[in-house]
Parts: sequence; C-alpha cells; structure tokens
Amino acid sequence: MDTTTQPTTTQPSVIEKVFDFVDERVGLKTLQAKMLNEPVPGGSRWAYVFGSVLLFIFIMQAVTGILLMFYYVPTADHAYASTQYIIHSVDYGWFLLSYHFWGSTAMVVCVFAHMSQVFLWGAYKKPRELIWLVGLALFGIVMGFGFTGYLLPWDQRAYWATTVGVEIMDKTPVLGDFMARFLKGGATPGQMTLSRFFVIHVMVLPAALMGLAGLHLFLFRKAGPAGPFRGSVEEIKAKTDYFFPRQIWKDIVGMVAVFLAICSLAFWEPIVLLEEATPDPGDYHPEPEWYFLFLFQLLRLKVFAGEFGQFLGAIALPGIFMALLAALPFIDRDPERNIFKRPIALISWIVVMASILIFTVAAIINREFLE
Amino acid sequence: MTGRETMSSFKLGLGILWPACWTALPIKMAFAMLFMAMGTIHLETKLGITFLMLLMSPVSVFAFFVISLGVGFHFGEGVGLPLLFLVSIPVDIWALGLVARTVFLERLRLEPPDSLGVALWVRFAVAGALYLPLLWVIEGGATDLARSIVKSILDMDMLKGLPVAERIGLEFTAWGSVSLLVLIALTYIGLSILGKLVEGKAAAAQPAGDNYQGLISRWDMIRVPADQSLMLTAFTAAGAVLSIVFWMVLPVSTPHPHECCKPATVAPAPPFDPQKSLSKGEKVLKDAEVKIAALEQKTAEDEKEKSKGGKEKAGAKDSSAKSEGKPSQATAGKPAGK
Repeated sequence: MDTTTQPTTTQPSVIEKVFDFVDERVGLKTLQAKMLNEPVPGGSRWAYVFGSVLLFIFIMQAVTGILLMFYYVPTADHAYASTQYIIHSVDYGWFLLSYHFWGSTAMVVCVFAHMSQVFLWGAYKKPRELIWLVGLALFGIVMGFGFTGYLLPWDQRAYWATTVGVEIMDKTPVLGDFMARFLKGGATPGQMTLSRFFVIHVMVLPAALMGLAGLHLFLFRKAGPAGPFRGSVEEIKAKTDYFFPRQIWKDIVGMVAVFLAICSLAFWEPIVLLEEATPDPGDYHPEPEWYFLFLFQLLRLKVFAGEFGQFLGAIALPGIFMALLAALPFIDRDPERNIFKRPIALISWIVVMASILIFTVAAIINREFLE
Repeated sequence: MTGRETMSSFKLGLGILWPACWTALPIKMAFAMLFMAMGTIHLETKLGITFLMLLMSPVSVFAFFVISLGVGFHFGEGVGLPLLFLVSIPVDIWALGLVARTVFLERLRLEPPDSLGVALWVRFAVAGALYLPLLWVIEGGATDLARSIVKSILDMDMLKGLPVAERIGLEFTAWGSVSLLVLIALTYIGLSILGKLVEGKAAAAQPAGDNYQGLISRWDMIRVPADQSLMLTAFTAAGAVLSIVFWMVLPVSTPHPHECCKPATVAPAPPFDPQKSLSKGEKVLKDAEVKIAALEQKTAEDEKEKSKGGKEKAGAKDSSAKSEGKPSQATAGKPAGK
C-alpha cells in the first residue's frame, strides 16, 4: 500500500471544536491574546504581584462570605448565636470564619503594599492619573468592608468598635450627623444598625468594588504597565517579556503565599468572640480594628481633645491626607520616577509609615496600660 | 546598566539573601501550615519572630536553635518545629542556588560555579549561626538599655505631668528609634559579611563570555524550569496531595471553644478486653452458683426445721384441741414455710 503520497489530515478534537465554536462568536483568541500577550517593560517582577493578589483575596473573601451567609442570621437577636453556631457547630465553620477575618486583614495589608509600590515607583504619574484615583476609591471600599464587617458577629468588641467609629463619623461637618444617623438607624446601635451594615457589607460594597476593580483593570490595560523606575533603555528592552507566563507564574506564587499566610494565621489565632453585645461596656475598653488603631491613638493625644480637636484629628487630618493623595498626580508633574531622585516623596512615605507604625504600637501599649 | 556591575559587599549580600528568602518562603509556608493544621507546632511569641526565623531566611535555620538553647528564648514547641527545620534545608539550598546563579550571570557577568547553592548555604548557615545570636544579644541589650534610659528621663519631675498617650508615644518613639538604628547597623554588618562570603566564591569564577542579549537569554532561562510541563505536573500533584492531607488533618470543630459553647465532656468508655470480660462472667456465674447452693441448703434446713417443728406443734395442737375444742390462730390461713 502506498502511503507516501496520501496527505495526512488531522480531525479537530471535541474540545477544539467547542473552542472554535465559542471563539467564532465571542472572539476568545483575540481576548486571550489581549489578556496574556501584554508586554511587561523590564520583565516580570515580584513587585507587580499585589494587584493580582488583591483580586485573589477578594474572590476568596466572597467565597467564604457566601458560605458564612448560609448560617449567619443578621438580626440583633440571633447574630451572636448564629456566629457562635458557625464557630462551634458547623463543620470547619471556625476555619471559614477565621479565614474570612484574617482575609480582611490581608486585604488591608496588600492594599497598603500595592499603594506603596505604585507611589514609590512613581506609577501614578501621567498617563496613569485615573488608575491612581480609582485605586484610592478602592482603598476606601476596602476600609469600608473592614468597618462594616466588624459589627456582624455582634459581640462586645463589634458593638463598641462600631459605636466609636460612628461617633468619629458624626464629627464630619455637614454630612456627619446624617451619615451617623443613617448608619445607626436609632439612638444606639441595634437591629437597624446591624441590618444596614449587613446590606452595605454584602451588597453595596461588593457591587461597588467589582465595578471599580473592572474600571481599574481597564484603565491599567489601556495605559499599560509603567515598568521599572530605573535601568537603561537597552536593559529594559532586553528584559521585556509578556504577561504570560512569567508574570502569571509570579502572581500565582504570590497568591499561594498569601493563601498560606491567611491559613496559618487562622490556625495561630482562630477567631474567638467576646460576650454578646450590650449597651454596657463593663470592663471592656472599646477600640477599633487594628488598621484604625493609629487614628484611635492619635485622638487620645491632648492636642486632639475637645470637640474641635476631635474633628481635627478624626476628620480634618485624614481628609486632608486623602485629598493630597488624590491630588498627587496633578501636583507632582515631574516625569522623574526614580524614588531615590524624589527625596520629598521618599521622606513623606517614610514619615507616614513610621507614624502609622508608632501610633499603632502605642495603641497596643496603651491597651496593656488600661488593662 | 548593561556593563559589569560593581557591587559592594552589602549590596551583594542583600541582592542574594532577600530574593532567596522570598523564593523559598511559599514552599516552606505550605509545610508550616500543614504542621500547624496537624497541631504539631505551638507558637508562644505573638510577634511572629518564630516565623521570621524559620521561614524567612536561610541564615536563621541554625541560629534558631542556637538562640533557643544559648539565650534561652522560648519560641514555641512541638515536633513540627524540627520537621520544618529539616524541610527548610533543601528548599533553602535550591532557592540560594537559583538566585545566586542569576546574580552571578546577570549582575556580576560571571559563570556560576557548580554546586553554588550548597556552597553558599553552608557558608550562610554557619555565618548565621555565629552572627545572629550575637545580633540577638546586642539588639536585646541595646533595647533594654534604651528603654530604661528613656523611662528614667520621662520619670523626671518636670516630665511627670505628661499625659498617658503622649508619654507612651514619646517613650516608644525614643527607645524604638535607638533600637531600630542598632538593628539597621547590625543588619548592614551581617549582610556585608554574607556579601564577602559570596565574593569569595565569585573570585574563583570565570567571566561569562556572551554579549548582553545572550547573557539575558541565559539568565532568563535559569529562572524557568527546563521541563515546564513536568514542573507544572509536579506542582499540581504536590498541591493536590497537600490539599487532601490538609482537609484530612484540619480539625472539624474549633480548637478554642468559647465559654458559652464548650462541648460536653463525655467520659471515654474503657477498651473492651475479651479475656477480662470472660473471667468476670465466669466469676459472676460461680458466685451465683455458690449463692444458689447456699439458698438451697438454707431452704432444705428450714424445711427440715419446719417439718420437725410441725410435728412438735401438731402434737401440741392435738393436745390443746383436745383440751379447748378450736384451731390454733398462728397457723390458720398461712402456707407452710412462710
């Protein structure tokens, strides 16, 4: 039999047929090329993993949050009991809740790391101003997640942290009173507060975050990665590669590391509730979650005592700081991105980070002093 | 920069140690988490020093035990800690080798020598075992001294009126700054020592002959596995096995129950011993036989007594009936033997 003259034609497999069918209608190949073949100037780096890691943490928070919602009852009568039920009676419930709790902490840490990386690398400068602004809004949403989620277990810690937080919010001029009344839904935190915090936590904030994160990614892909802040043109050109596979691999390793860190923390310090929430703090010294501790300690200073002082420390200073961050790409128009050639930016970052660290540790020492 | 980079010892030490720590960390963390899920690691320090010491650095693996034994600092306990130590060794060797080869090629423009990972790991581990306990003692001493000096300054009469929050912030900032400066200085010295150790290996290395683009291509290929499919399969398989083991060892209920919801303590049933149970049954039967025999004997004696007494009573009755003409009240309507 003569086989040399017959051309060999391979039939496409079922998977290939399905892929071609979808590709014809959706344009999968174009989408894949756009998503994965993005050139990364200067090559892949570990410093770029924070954005992907944040997306991963958010997805994990959504998954664990949905699983927790199967058992959680958002009423003042049952919130505490249902949380205790999750911890003590639901199989692996303690781990899910602890993961969700530490996941929120990881999200705040990664947001700080991501913002610091963008700031230090000068990646907020033209043409990436809008990415920076949307990122700031996302930062606010992450903080909102932490604040609203903290009340849901309805123990003393949750109740009093929320009380303190809402009181601080009350000091905002014009809007403060309305916002505090809207969130509390009454004179003291109760059923209405819990319902509102729950709805904001599981409906409003996730929707806002998904929308803004999509916009953030779109703007990022439009402007392209900023690349390293130093290095010769030849070096950057020689090291440039595509988003897939090297940067994706780094992102996956980053995600795995964060996942393992959260799991380890869940084992190390699993969540334990205090007594059920009551309007009497008893021996408990109210304080917010750790990432708001620096602000809480700042307000303990004599200079921020009194009505005006509290407004200055709780609203004016953080407000000015956030406004400065928002205006940063428009104030700092120098194209120089090398952080070692931007001494004001470097010193400002060190001062802010050192202040947050000092006030947070001081709040922890103060807690021991009070006890 | 595309020419050969001149690096200080500090930069060289930092350039290898820092990425090597991060490269090895995810693998070590997977094991650490598994050991924690199995309940074989119990950490006592809240600052995560143990994690930093065990997971972050190839230089701290021996130093961890030296500090534990020499200084007496108790990090934690459990069989998981030495296991983690054993796991860390090959992971650190691999990570150091990988990072050092890229640094030699891309930044020093030198051909990486053979077994670079093992050679550097031995040097780093020994240097760490000697230097880190020293750093620990000096840093601890400097911090304690700074704290006591700051405290005595703040206890002065003119500063006694300082409010609590201000005092705490000031005190921490003062001794924290001193402590941080000492730590930075000691870290600089330590990294410079590591850099010198790398320079020792670099002195014997041959210059890399390729042009820049060729070097970058080789450097890039070092960073990816030769057989990517095999690597991906191995990682997926390891991940699947670890996930299964993780869910198998993960406690179903919380290891820290709240006061309100502590599970009821049920006394465990003693283990079943068939020999003991049989001998116990035999003993019960023997006892029962003895009791039955005693009862039968007693009944027989009672009947004997009764029949004997009955005869005597019958004799007496006959005589009384004969004398009074009516039956005795004591025996009327009662069965015999009762």
